[in-house]
Amino acid sequence: MDSTTSRREFLSAGLMLPVVGAGSKMGLWPLTGEPDARSGAPAKLEYRVLGKTGLKVTTLGFGCMITSDPSVITRAADLGVNYFDTARGYQHGNNERMVGAALGAKRKQVVLSTKSEAGDKASLLKDLDTSLGELKTDYVDIWYLHSKDHPSDIRDDMIEAQQIAKKQGKIRFAGMSTHALPKQLEWTAQKKAFDVVLTVYNFAMDRSMDEAIAAVAKTGTGVVAMKVMAGGFKSLKPTDPTYQKLKRDGAMLAALKWVINRPNISTTIPSMTDMDQLDENLQAMGNAYAAGDEKLLAAHLEMIRPLYCNMCGQCEGTCQKGLQVANTLRILTYADGYRQFGLARERFKELPARHAEVRCGDCAECTVKCPFGVQVSSRMARAQELFA
Amino acid sequence: MRLLSLLLTIACAAGLAHAQDYLDCRFAPGWEQTGAKRLYTPDNLYDYKDGGAEGYLAFSFVRMESMDCKSGKDTLSIDISDMTDADSAFGIFSANRDLRLPVSKIGMGGQIEAQSASFAKGKYYVEITELAADRNADESATMQSLARKIEGLLEGQVTTPKTLEWFPKEGLTSARLIPESVLGMRLLKRGYVAKYAQGQAFVVLEASPESAADVLKKVRDRFDGATDAKVGDEGFQAKAQYLDGICIFRKGSYVAGYANMADPAKAAELAVQLATRIP
Repeated sequence: MDSTTSRREFLSAGLMLPVVGAGSKMGLWPLTGEPDARSGAPAKLEYRVLGKTGLKVTTLGFGCMITSDPSVITRAADLGVNYFDTARGYQHGNNERMVGAALGAKRKQVVLSTKSEAGDKASLLKDLDTSLGELKTDYVDIWYLHSKDHPSDIRDDMIEAQQIAKKQGKIRFAGMSTHALPKQLEWTAQKKAFDVVLTVYNFAMDRSMDEAIAAVAKTGTGVVAMKVMAGGFKSLKPTDPTYQKLKRDGAMLAALKWVINRPNISTTIPSMTDMDQLDENLQAMGNAYAAGDEKLLAAHLEMIRPLYCNMCGQCEGTCQKGLQVANTLRILTYADGYRQFGLARERFKELPARHAEVRCGDCAECTVKCPFGVQVSSRMARAQELFA
Repeated sequence: MRLLSLLLTIACAAGLAHAQDYLDCRFAPGWEQTGAKRLYTPDNLYDYKDGGAEGYLAFSFVRMESMDCKSGKDTLSIDISDMTDADSAFGIFSANRDLRLPVSKIGMGGQIEAQSASFAKGKYYVEITELAADRNADESATMQSLARKIEGLLEGQVTTPKTLEWFPKEGLTSARLIPESVLGMRLLKRGYVAKYAQGQAFVVLEASPESAADVLKKVRDRFDGATDAKVGDEGFQAKAQYLDGICIFRKGSYVAGYANMADPAKAAELAVQLATRIP
C-alpha cells in the first residue's frame, strides 16, 4: 500500500480527526500540569489501511507491554487510538489480562493483536484459547507468530494453526513478528503466508530495511512497526545523561514521527508507560517529519558517533596486536546498533583466533587512532567482553 | 599495585565461580546440561527475551545467567537475573507471577507450576521454564526440586518488602512494585500498588519531605475540583475521569493514597487508615 496516497485519500475523506480531550483538562490532565506536550494544539487522529486486511488503523498504535496502569489504555481508546498490541508471553499472561480489563466494552471498537511463541500447531492453538480467555474476547483481530527471525523458525503446521483459528473465527488475520525481516522474505513476500507483518523499524537501522518492507508491502501484506524509538533509548537508565537529553529535547517524538511518515508503514506500536507518554506520542499523528525533527535525530546520531565505525578503513594495519579493528567494530554494531547479538557472535568467531585472545586493556597505549573520533580501545574491549 | 591487582582478580574469579555454582542441571535427577552457559546484560537481553526485555530493564536489570538442560526429549531453561536489589527482584516477580495462583514460601516469594517455576530471593530473580514434549505433563516435582536447590545456594533477603505490610489484607487481590509512573502518572515515579476488589492503594517514597510536598502539589494540580483532605501531613480528594474517587496524601517523604474508589469520601476514609501505618 502506498501510505502517502492513502493518507491523502483519508485526508480528503475527512478521516483525520482531532482528538477530543487530548491536551485538555478532562478532570485529570489540566493544562497546568506536566509535560509540555499537552499544552500544544490538540492531536489529530490519522488513519491508514493495514494492507489487504482492510482494517483502518490509527498511525499511532499502543504497545501495552510496560503500561503502568490500565487507565492509560482506557484513555487511549477513549481518545481514538484504535490499535492495541500485547502478547501471550508478556508478564506471563498478566499483560493480556490487564489489556482485556482496560478495553472492556470498547474491545469491539478497536483492533486487538496478540502473539504466541509456541512452536507447534497444538501448542499455538492452546495458547490462543488462553489468550482469548485472558483478553475476555471471542476473537483477536491479528494473531502473530511471535519473534520469528529465521525461516526455519516457521513450520507449515504453524501456518496451519493460523488457518484453523481463522476458520474457527478466533482470529481475523494471521501475522508474524520479526526482528530480521530481510531474512524472512521467503515467507512474507514470496509465499505470502501472512496478512500482517510486525517488524522492528527505526531511524537508526540500515536502509536495507526499507527495501525489505517495500517488498512485503507490495504483496498487500500490512506492515506494523515496533521498537520505533530505537532500542538504544530503552536500554538507557533514567539517570543516564543521554536518556535525559533524549527525553527533554523531543528526540523520541521525532523518532516516532520518522517512522509514521515512512512509506509502507500502516501503524506503529511504541510501548507507552503513562498518560504523559500517551499525550506526547499523540502529537506524532498528523504531523509531518520536519526539519526540526531531522536535526534532533541527526544530533542523536552525532552523539552515538564515538560508538560507531563508518568503515573508512584508515585504521587497518595500525593495531600493534594485529587485530582487524574496523571489522571488529562493524560486528559490534550488529549487537549494539541492531541488537543482532547472535549474528555478531557468529561473525566474531569467524575472525582469526587472536581476536578472542587479545585484551585491549593489556596494552599500555592504543596505537589505533580513529580520524572520526571513535573510541577504539574501549569499543574493542567491549567486543572482547561480549564475544571472546 | 600488582598485589592489589592479583587480589582483585582472585576475588572476581571466586565471585564468578560462586555465581555459577547455582546453575546446575543435576539439581534435578535425570537432567543434564545442554549447550554452554549464557550471560545476558541490558545490551543483549533483547536477543533472548525479545520485547519482554523491557519488563526486565524497567526493574533495574543488571545481568542474567542462563543454562539449558535436557532429559530425554524434554528441555528446560534456568534464568537467574541480578536485579540490583531485593525491591526490584520482588518487583519483577510480583509483576510476572500468575495472580490466580498462590505464592509459595520460596525466598521472598515464589510460584511452582506444572512446567515452570519462579521466585525472588535477595537481589535475584529466578525463572525455570520447561518445554516438555507433553505440554500437559505435570513436572512440578522437577520444578520444585530445582527451585529449592537454587534457592538454598543464593544469598539474600527472604522477607517481603516492608511496604507491603502497610496495605490492608482484606479484599487484597495483588500487590506489586510499579517501576515507573504509578497510577499512570510520571510524577509518581516508582512505588508499591495494592489492588483490591474495589479500588487500589499505593505508596511512593520520595527523596525528602520537600520533594514529596512538591510532587503532591503537582499531582493535585492535575485534578479539577480537588478539595483538601485531612490525611497525613497534607492531602486532597477528588473525582477523576479515569481514576474515579481518589484521595492522595503526603506523610513525611511518602506520597500515598487510594484511587478507583466509588467516591472520594470512601477513598479518604481508607487513606486515613493507610496513613496511620506509614511510619
